[in-house]
Amino acid sequence: MSETFKLSPLDIREFSLSNGLRIILNPDNAIPVVSIAVYYNVGSRNERADRTGFAHLFEHMMFQGSENVPKAGHFQYIMKAGGTMNGTTSSERTNYYETLPADQLPLGLWLESDRMRSLAVTQENLDNQREAVKEEKRLRYDNQPYGQIFDLINEMIYKNFANSHSTIGSMDHLDAATVEDVQEFFRIYYAPNNAVLVLSGAFDPETARELVETYFGDIPSQPLPPDLDVTEPTEVAANYREWEDKLAPFPAFLIGWKIPPRRSAEFNALYLAGKILYDGDSSRLYQKLVKGDESVIQLFGFTDERRGPSSIFVGAIPKPEKDLSKIRETIMQEIHDLASHGPTAEEMEKIENQLINDSVRMRQSSMSRAQQIAEFALYDGDPKLVNTELETLLSIKAEQIRHAVGTFLNTDNRALLDVVPAGKG
Amino acid sequence: MPADIRTTPPPPLGAVEFDIPKPIEHRLENGLRIVVVEDDRLPLVSFRLAFASGDINDPPGHTGLSSALGSMLVEGTANYSSLQFAEKVERLGSSLSASVSDDFTIVAASALSLYSSEILDLLAEVVLRPSFPEGELDLYRRNTVEHLKFQRSQPGFLANEQASRLIYGDHPYATISPNAADIEKIDRESLSRFHAAKFIPNNALFIAVGDVNANELFEQLNAIFGDWQSGKVASAEYAKPPVRSTRSITIVDRPGSAQSNIVLGNLAIKRTDPDYFSVLVMNQVLGAGASSRVFMNLREEKGYTYGAYTRLDTKKLAGNFEATAEVRTAVTGDSLKEFFYELGRIREDLVGEEELRDAKSFLTGVFPIRAETQEGLTNLIVNQQLYGLPDDYLQTYREKVDAVTAEDVLRVAKKHIRPDEMAIVIVGDAEEVLEQVRSYADSVEIFDTEGIAQDESKYAGVKGGQPVDIAGKWKLIIDFQGQQLPVSLTLDQDGESVAGLLETMLGNGKITDGKVTGSRLSATAAVEMQGQPIEFAISGKADGDSMTGTISAPIVPDPLPFAGSRA
Repeated sequence: MSETFKLSPLDIREFSLSNGLRIILNPDNAIPVVSIAVYYNVGSRNERADRTGFAHLFEHMMFQGSENVPKAGHFQYIMKAGGTMNGTTSSERTNYYETLPADQLPLGLWLESDRMRSLAVTQENLDNQREAVKEEKRLRYDNQPYGQIFDLINEMIYKNFANSHSTIGSMDHLDAATVEDVQEFFRIYYAPNNAVLVLSGAFDPETARELVETYFGDIPSQPLPPDLDVTEPTEVAANYREWEDKLAPFPAFLIGWKIPPRRSAEFNALYLAGKILYDGDSSRLYQKLVKGDESVIQLFGFTDERRGPSSIFVGAIPKPEKDLSKIRETIMQEIHDLASHGPTAEEMEKIENQLINDSVRMRQSSMSRAQQIAEFALYDGDPKLVNTELETLLSIKAEQIRHAVGTFLNTDNRALLDVVPAGKG
Repeated sequence: MPADIRTTPPPPLGAVEFDIPKPIEHRLENGLRIVVVEDDRLPLVSFRLAFASGDINDPPGHTGLSSALGSMLVEGTANYSSLQFAEKVERLGSSLSASVSDDFTIVAASALSLYSSEILDLLAEVVLRPSFPEGELDLYRRNTVEHLKFQRSQPGFLANEQASRLIYGDHPYATISPNAADIEKIDRESLSRFHAAKFIPNNALFIAVGDVNANELFEQLNAIFGDWQSGKVASAEYAKPPVRSTRSITIVDRPGSAQSNIVLGNLAIKRTDPDYFSVLVMNQVLGAGASSRVFMNLREEKGYTYGAYTRLDTKKLAGNFEATAEVRTAVTGDSLKEFFYELGRIREDLVGEEELRDAKSFLTGVFPIRAETQEGLTNLIVNQQLYGLPDDYLQTYREKVDAVTAEDVLRVAKKHIRPDEMAIVIVGDAEEVLEQVRSYADSVEIFDTEGIAQDESKYAGVKGGQPVDIAGKWKLIIDFQGQQLPVSLTLDQDGESVAGLLETMLGNGKITDGKVTGSRLSATAAVEMQGQPIEFAISGKADGDSMTGTISAPIVPDPLPFAGSRA
C-alpha cells in the first residue's frame, strides 16, 4: 500500500530578507485562517554553563511588551481578533506562534516584528519574569510528583553539558543574571538572521511578502551566534541512579537510551520501534504489562529528537506491590525479541497506516503545518522535507528496525532511574 | 518602515470568504437520511451515525440507560470481542467511538479514505450487532458507580445538579446524572430492548464529510444498512419547565469549603431560537471570555475569584443562561452583588461601540479556526443538521454575528436575563455563607452533598458578630503534600477590614481586601507569576493567639491546611 499512497505536495515558497530572516510561505486557501510561526534558533543547548535557563526565560520575556505593544498586550490583541497563541522552549529552539482569522495576518506580523525589533528587556521585566520562572519551576518540577525525572535522566544519558542540562535551568544562574546579560542574549539570538518565519494558511503570497518586508525588513541583523559543539561519546554518562521523590505516591522507573540524531536512518527506525513497543492499546508492552500481567498503572514511551545525539525512553508506574525488576525484565525481553525476530508483518502494516494517518492529519491544521515546516527549515535548511518525510519513514524495512533495536536498545549502555517514594506516606 | 505603521496595530485585510461546500442529501427506503459533504482536500473521511435520542429519552425509571448503551457499543459485538475490536480499529490507524448528550447519540468514526469501507463495516458492526457481554457490562457498572462517587466530591457537579433541577423542574433536562441504584439496574436485557427501540434507521441520520463520492457512498450505505428494519419512532411528551416568578437561593453545604461555587441561572433559549445570534453576542460582552464584563469586574477589579463567566446552554427543546464563579467564602455575598450589578447593567444600558466590536470580532474570528480540521468541520455540520438549522447556517454565520446591533443586545438581555426570577445555587460552607446571601432572595433552602434537605435553622445566625483582634504577625505552617512550608502573615486591622502581607517561599503577596467576621479571617494575596497575579485565598479561624485554616490557589487542586500562632 505504501507504493500506491501519494499525498499531493504542500505549496512551499521560500525567500529571505536582506537582514537574513528566512521566510517560508505555505499558501492554502481552504479555510480563511492563517498561522504564523517564528522559530528562533536558540534552545538550552546554546546556554553558557554559568547562565542556564536563559532560553526559557525569554519565552516569558517575549510577552512583557515591546516598543509599541504594552505588557500582556500581545495576548489581548490576539484574543480580541479571535485568535490563539503560545510559545515553547526546547533544547533545540524557542518558538512563538499564533493562529488568526486570515484577514488579521497584518496584526500577527506587526506583533511578532515589534518584539523581534524592540523587546522591552528592562530591569523590572527581568525581575518579575525571573520570579515567574522560579514559580513555574516550583510548580511544574519541584512540587510535582515525578516532576524532575526527565531532567535527571538527561544528566545520566548525556556527557556533553550542552545536551545534559535542563531547559528550566539553574535559579542561581537566573539570579546572577544582569539586565545587560539578558540584553546581550536577546541581541545575539533573537536576531532576524537567527530565525525562521513561516506563514501557513489563506493569504495571497504577494501580499504576504510585502507585509513581511514592511514589518521585518528594517530589523538589523547581528553577528552570528558562537559555534556550538553537541557531540557525544556513545557511552551514557551514568547507568543507574536511585531518586528519592518526596511527592511520588508510587515507585516508578524510567529507562533512557542514547541514540543517533533525528532523521538519521537509525533514529527513524527506532522511532518506529517505539510505536511497536509502546504506542496505543495494541502495542507490545501495553498488551504485556497493562492487559496481560495487569502489573502497571501507567506505561509510556517517547523519543526526544535533537539535531545532535538524541534519546528514547520507556517508563512505567507499576501497581502497588508489583515487582519492578520483573517488569523491567519483561520490557528488556520484548526489546530482545524485537532485536532477534524483528517486527511482525501485522505490526509493519499497523505502523504504516499510523504513519500515513499522522501525516495526513498533520496537514489539516495551518498551525501544525507551520510548525513542521519551521522545524525542517531551521534544523535541516530544507522546508520541502515536509513533502518527502512520510515516504522516508515508509521506506524503512522491518530488518532495519530489528537491526537498530539490536544495536541501540538491546544493550546495557542505557540509563535506569529508579524513583523511590520518600514522602511521609 | 515609517514610524506610524509601527506604532498602531494594523487594520484587517479584506474579509476572506468562508466557502463550506453544500451537503448532498439522500434517503434510503427504510428511512435512513444521509448527508454527504464532499471535501477531497485530504484523503480522510469522517462518518457520524447520529440518533435523535439521548439522555432525555431514557425510559422512566431507567436513568442512565442511553449513556450505558453508548459506552457499551464498542465493548463487544456479534463478531468481535472488545479487544479484537480495538485491534481492528487501530490496525487501520483509525478511530471509532460513541457519545451521548441530552438530545442525541452519535457514533463517530474517522479514517484514511482508503479504509473507508473497512471503517464503515466496523461502524455498522457496533450499531447493528452489539452483544453487551456480561463481563464488560459488569466492569462498566463498577467503574460508573465509582465515577458517580467521585462526582459528588466535585462542587461544580453539585452546583449543576441543583441548577438544572431548579431551572428545568419536571422536564428531563433537569437530571444530569443517574445514581448508583440506576446503574445497578442496567442489564443486558434492558440494553438490548432499548437498542432495538432506538437504533432504527428512521430515527437516524448518517453524515459523511471528506474524501468520498456521494453516489458511491449512497450505494455502499444501501448495501450495509438497506436491510436494517425501520420501526416506530416513539413520540415523547415532556413536562414544561417551570415558570419562575421569584428569586431563590439553594445552598449545598460543604462544611470547611474555602470557596463558594456560585451558579445563577434562568431559562433562556433553545438552539433554533431566532434570538440566537443576538444572545450569543450579548453573552460575549457580558461574560463568555476573559475580557468580558463579569471577568473584568469580579476578577480583575475585585479579585474575588480566579475566573467568573456567563454561559449559554442551548439544547434542542430549551436552554438556559448561567452566570458562574468560584469565589472565596467570605466574599460570596459581595460576589452576588457584583453579578446582579452586571446583569442589571446589560439590561439597562446600550453596550459601547468598542465593546460590541471586540465581542463580534472574537466570535467571527474564532469561527473558521474551529472548521480547520475535518473533525472540526464535521462537528459544525453535525450540529447544523441535528438541530435543524438553516441550510446556509455555516456560510452565513459570520454575517449574522456582524449584523447584531447594540439595540439587539439590549433587547435580548431584557428578555432572556431575568435577575428577579433567577435560581441562585451556592455550593460551600452553609454556616459561613447563609447570612451573607440571605437578603439576595425571597427563599432559602439547604441540602447536604447527597441531596438531602437540611433544616435551615441549623445554620442561621451562626456567623456574624464583632470582629476579634487579629492584628499582628502570625507564623504559620502549611502542610503541602506532607511537606511543612513556613509562611508568615502580617495583618493590620481596622474594624472588619484587614490589610497586610503574605510572605511565602514562592514569593510575597500584598493583602488589601481582607475581612474579619467574628473570629473568621478571609483574605487574598496576589503573588505575581508570569506577569499574571496568582491569587492565594486565605481562610482562617483565630482562637486567641492561635490560628487554623486553609490556603488555596487556582494552581493547587485542593485547599492546603495551615496552623500556627501570633508571634
